Amino acid sequence: MSLTLVKGMQSEIFVPITPPSVWAPVTKELKDMTIALATAAGVHHKDQERFNLAGDFTWRKVTDDMPSDELMVSHGGYDNSDVNKDINCMFPIDRIHELAKEGFIKACAPVHAGFMGGGGNQEKFKGETGPAIAQMFKEEEVDAVILTAG
Amino acid sequence: MQRAIEEAGIPTIIIAALPPVVRQTGTPRAVAPLVPMGANAGAPNNPEQQTQIVKATLEQLVEIQTPGKIVPLPFEYIAKV
Repeated sequence: MSLTLVKGMQSEIFVPITPPSVWAPVTKELKDMTIALATAAGVHHKDQERFNLAGDFTWRKVTDDMPSDELMVSHGGYDNSDVNKDINCMFPIDRIHELAKEGFIKACAPVHAGFMGGGGNQEKFKGETGPAIAQMFKEEEVDAVILTAG
Repeated sequence: MQRAIEEAGIPTIIIAALPPVVRQTGTPRAVAPLVPMGANAGAPNNPEQQTQIVKATLEQLVEIQTPGKIVPLPFEYIAKV
């Protein structure tokens, strides 16, 4: 017996489709890896341009030598109070420096990335911002990236 | 973002406060400590907890073999709002 009564009928309710994962294999041990951070939390240096809180697909290059107390957040989509007290809540830059020092990882990448998630032009994120950040990590020979978002 | 970086051949792992959201976007690897949005890597001025979360995240980067896996982490921070 067929359970389909009307062929080709579609729900009128929008259902988001989960795309299959993209998978890059891990090929090194942690102690041999150069690690970068990428965050959707709107992290950038105090001297860099703030994000447009209404939606912004641009991104900021956060270099590894920027002192963590000179980093800040501009993001309109979540409660910033914790991250304003301590940037490491969303951007654990001091923590990965310590892990590199103790040899848990090989090194911190010379560059990291901050952008503002939770809105903005998704096509631009997908087609421009994402590939641009990926390209930077590729050029700097980053072995793996920790993201904070969601 | 995670997809774009993986497409470039660089493995990634995301620290998520909202695991259902990252599941929806098709994350390859994720960890989910018990934290509020805005403190994904642990409580403010609690370097010990932040280190635990970051270390466990890096361990899962190597450990996770199944695309789409989200591993809960046993670290909790409840923000006093």
